Amino acid sequence: MFLFRLALKNLTRHKRRVLITASIIAVGIALFLIYDSVQLGLNRLSFNNIRNLETGHLQVVNKNYWQKRDKVPLDNLISEDKKLMQIINSISDYQAAAPQLKFSANLNNGIDELPVVVYGIEPNKYQQVFMTGKYLIEGEMLESGEYEAVLGKRLAELMEFKLGDYITLVFRNNQRTFNTIDAKITGLIHTNNPTINNNFVYIPLDITQRSLNLENKVSQIVIRLNQVETVKKTKQELSTKLAATKNDLEAHSWRDFAGEVIAMSKAETAEKVTIMGLILLIAAVGIVNTIILSSLERIKEIGMMKALGLKEREIILIFIMEAAGIGFIGGVIGSFLGGIFILYLNINGIDLTSLIGNVSDWGLPVMGKLYAVWNFKAFIFVIVFGVIISVVASILPARWAAKKDPVEAIYGNHN
Amino acid sequence: MALLTLEEVQKVYQQGKVDVPALRGIDLVINQGAFTSIAGPSGSGKSTLLNIVGCLDRPTSGTVYLEEEKINGLSQDELAMLRRHNLGFIFQDFNLIPVLNVYENVEFALRLVIERKEFNIQEQVMNILKSVGLGELADRRPNELSGGQKQRVSIARALVKHPKLVLADEPTANLDSETSQEVLKVMLEMNQKLDTTFIFSTHDPLVMDYAKRLIKLKDGEIIEDNCRYD
Repeated sequence: MFLFRLALKNLTRHKRRVLITASIIAVGIALFLIYDSVQLGLNRLSFNNIRNLETGHLQVVNKNYWQKRDKVPLDNLISEDKKLMQIINSISDYQAAAPQLKFSANLNNGIDELPVVVYGIEPNKYQQVFMTGKYLIEGEMLESGEYEAVLGKRLAELMEFKLGDYITLVFRNNQRTFNTIDAKITGLIHTNNPTINNNFVYIPLDITQRSLNLENKVSQIVIRLNQVETVKKTKQELSTKLAATKNDLEAHSWRDFAGEVIAMSKAETAEKVTIMGLILLIAAVGIVNTIILSSLERIKEIGMMKALGLKEREIILIFIMEAAGIGFIGGVIGSFLGGIFILYLNINGIDLTSLIGNVSDWGLPVMGKLYAVWNFKAFIFVIVFGVIISVVASILPARWAAKKDPVEAIYGNHN
Repeated sequence: MALLTLEEVQKVYQQGKVDVPALRGIDLVINQGAFTSIAGPSGSGKSTLLNIVGCLDRPTSGTVYLEEEKINGLSQDELAMLRRHNLGFIFQDFNLIPVLNVYENVEFALRLVIERKEFNIQEQVMNILKSVGLGELADRRPNELSGGQKQRVSIARALVKHPKLVLADEPTANLDSETSQEVLKVMLEMNQKLDTTFIFSTHDPLVMDYAKRLIKLKDGEIIEDNCRYD
């Protein structure tokens, strides 16, 4: 206990040096915390966007369709029958379900054509599952049975469409014959998901089914649950029920659709580890430097302590406790600084578009404002991490100091 | 009763390829309660002798006994424990810990020996500080003390654990003659009061005057061993 007190008092010897070393650690830790909270914010935003605008929580699809889903096929579709809907309605935590028929088409303005993905939707059900309607900036959502279209404002601008104009969608139906849909633009949306803004066109489901010659067929049934946390469990429940009665169908969670985004999130975790590695290196260099300087300055004192009867490991312990103290101070200052920045970013957010342009170029489905997310576990982790790194870094210089010959330490030479 | 016995102790330092003998076969017996001064010019081997007796250095050959215990073959940890419990050191440069106050500097030495909470450490420390005349200065930091006061703290630190032997290397070297006399009086008083054995290395005539036994070294050999009051 006395050695602990002594180590604490030793930290007051060279306050400026201790503060500089702790500050180096603090800056690294603050940067890590800010990066971590922004990354969590980015993940939350992109995952929310995927769930709320693209995939829902769960989807029921045909097994063969799932294999070829990237090609947006028009075979292996689902018949939207009563029994299937009963199964879906019976799953725990169920909130709503919406069928959709998805296909590729070219959007034509009479001069140019652009490939797009068309979603045939039942507007009422769709709005119970997705939040796309909240992003309507002009006009209104679709009505079933009407040749109407909703698309992204950016796509509309690109194709020089405005509200009330007619678009032409050119596509092949399931018999591979060309067909078109002419629909009036009733609404323009601008979501936080650039993929939707640039590539998607929404048409009433019955219109698309008729035009594709696919009466009562849908690509998938999208399900919204009351809580996103139950997705994994409910997916299992639904899979079991489908296997028993509809074994050509299977359930997939939003995570299965968002593989690339999740992979990017994991890559960001690797970046986080790299940042921690850098902090580790910086902290280690600072601590080694401080302990060596301290031991050189206190060489006579080390000799005196040996004369008093301190064992080498007790002297090592004093230096290690000092290093742990520096690490702790660095961790606390870093957490405080990081906390201030995170608080600001949590309240005010960062305007991604003005800061870094279009994030969709990175493959992340996010736009608009990004808000930092508090991760209190990270705060505890970095303080503990700062202390551990400092302790580990101090072991060798502390051993070097403690191993000094007491006579050499006290007198500097033999006489 | 013999507290310390040295038999044929030799110490040879190597400077490059050259062997430099510092002690050449010292035979010496120091009794319990002695107040002994080891004198001699620089390079005579007095500090080397003190370091070997203090278990800070090992002899090249020969044997050292503290009471009945042969200390030559002890490990570093065993030597540390032996110093902790049996020896006190007073240094020429005081070597006080600057971040600790007077009380804590003395307490440090006692804490190493006694960890028990029920033991009245505060009383022990204050008693020894009063004995060396520093009862009023317990809260001061070393940089707020004079040289003589620092050396008194050093004496208190050496004596607080009631060691069998106190080794003082040039204890008056950094003090003026008046302060030196005060410090020596304190040490003599402690020697008489606590029956603690003191060995000094010095070339200060004042210290030699105070010593009850004066051992003179030259070129690593004892050339004079004069027991004056024993």
